Amino acid sequence: MTAVDLAGRVPARPRHVVRTALAVAGLVAFTVATCLPAIGGVELDLGSIARYWRNGADKLAELAQPNLAFAPRTVAPMLETLQMALVGAAVAALLSVPLTLWAARATNPSTPARVAVRTVVNVVRAVPDLVYATVLVAMVGVGALPGVLTLVLFDVGIVVKLVSEAIDSSDHGYMEAGRAAGGTQTQINRVTALPQVAPLFANQWLYVLELNVRISAILGIVGAGGIGRLLDERRAFYAYGDVSVVILEILVVVVVIEVLSNLLRRRLV
Amino acid sequence: MRTAAPHVGAGHAPAPTARSSWPVELDRVCVTYPNGTRALRDVSLRVEPGEMVAVVGLSGSGKSTLIRTVNGLVPATSGTVRVGPHQVTALRGRALREVRGHVGMIFQGFNLAERVDVLHNVLVGRFAHTPAWRSLLGRPSAADRELALRALDSVGMLEKVWTRAGSLSGGQKQRVAIARALTQEPGVMLADEPVASLDPPTAHAVMADLRRINAEQGLTVVVNIHLMDLARQYTTRMIGLRAGEVVYDGPAPDATDADFEQIYGRPVQPRDVLGAGA
Ligand SMILES: Nc1ncnc2c1ncn2[C@@H]1O[C@H](COP(=O)(O)OP(=O)(O)O)[C@@H](O)[C@H]1O
Ligand SMILES: [Mg+2]
Repeated sequence: MTAVDLAGRVPARPRHVVRTALAVAGLVAFTVATCLPAIGGVELDLGSIARYWRNGADKLAELAQPNLAFAPRTVAPMLETLQMALVGAAVAALLSVPLTLWAARATNPSTPARVAVRTVVNVVRAVPDLVYATVLVAMVGVGALPGVLTLVLFDVGIVVKLVSEAIDSSDHGYMEAGRAAGGTQTQINRVTALPQVAPLFANQWLYVLELNVRISAILGIVGAGGIGRLLDERRAFYAYGDVSVVILEILVVVVVIEVLSNLLRRRLV
Repeated sequence: MRTAAPHVGAGHAPAPTARSSWPVELDRVCVTYPNGTRALRDVSLRVEPGEMVAVVGLSGSGKSTLIRTVNGLVPATSGTVRVGPHQVTALRGRALREVRGHVGMIFQGFNLAERVDVLHNVLVGRFAHTPAWRSLLGRPSAADRELALRALDSVGMLEKVWTRAGSLSGGQKQRVAIARALTQEPGVMLADEPVASLDPPTAHAVMADLRRINAEQGLTVVVNIHLMDLARQYTTRMIGLRAGEVVYDGPAPDATDADFEQIYGRPVQPRDVLGAGA
């Protein structure tokens, strides 16, 4: 067969010009509509940027001069933030194992039980973290505890969803062997499925640890402990030099944790 | 007769012996899948204890379905399946798992947990004989461990006991899978296209392992195969399936090409034969 007669017989690549155009047009129209106050869209007053730019520039100038003398006072709250992140991730890791195995089709063939777990986890995940923090501060008082509880709820939602989906999208031939040998699903999960999916778990645990450092840095703003509380306090005193130090520290810690976790994750694969 | 395939005879100790070898009996078995596919139509047959039977047929003829009705992985829509003293079609739940615990099975794709070491893959064969709490703790009993190690030794895989299954070759994986089935102390061994993913020399080695187990222990073996020469060389009796029906049942070694053409429903082709391999 030669290339010549091949060229004529290649079917035309299917194109969906009209469908794509309609989708793009719809997206643009919707976005524009959401910015029209007349029909209930958000009010974006771009003019205010121009009117207040001097005010903003002053703040930026102050932030650009971090008050390094303030740094020692940030150490303890920063450690508290890191502790909250770690404890939250560890507790969530423990809880996520049984919940995830219940939520994945491969490891839990019983549909009612699976749907129940998934529903609960979806609801848990739907609530924003600051809402948890605010409510929990009201329930258990100001401090690190509501922060940790917030992180646990937040992390469990993420890990269970992502890992159970990853489990369901991978191949589990060994389960047929376990069933053929007369095993229960629990035995199959414990002895074979758990080691098989351990890297999927470890990957997401590290990811939520990273997220936790970021989130716990601001949870203090609603009273849930950590460096955020200091940030909020200094801001209330208009001490932008101090605020600047805190922000820089958060930035450094977040980047360091991310680099470490990427290194670890690469070793997992 | 072949004797010198690469991996054959690697075993050092005899495999754990089955308490007794079981017959398999299907009586007017039909299987219709939920999507309406009629995979087995009125299949009746009896395999005597200690026989080594090949189930031959084209892809889609119902071989996998047939073998899975024996341990209840596929429930029979009608008819009865008996294995040894048990009527599989009447059992569910715990009782069915207990029977499965005495029916070994190996698969085309090996079905090992790749990230798990060889020993723990083989211990899967003890599931039905292990209390749930022991599995949860991850502590096998000394007796189960002993059985697993003996089975590994009998297929020449003892030195790989701590290797991850995923890093073994295809032939090694299938021999670990055979060890897993032997660890069950089975009354029957089922094999669903056990060599279809292996290169010819390894395929011969694994078939020879199965025949050796059959000969040494008198264990009943039912093996699905789509290759003529393997069926002739390694089994004594052949059951031909076409479109879910038994169309042949007779001695395997002297089955003629005409017999195979009748089973396949078409002339014999080169791909119906594995060849000598090495
Ligand atoms: N789980 C299933 N659901 C529906 N149809 C199936 C299923 N498994 C097998 N079949 C169909 O049943 C028939 C027999 O399949 P199978 O027993 O796998 O044959 P073989 O092992 O000889 O290739 C085929 O038509 C196949 O498509
Ligand atoms: Mg098949």
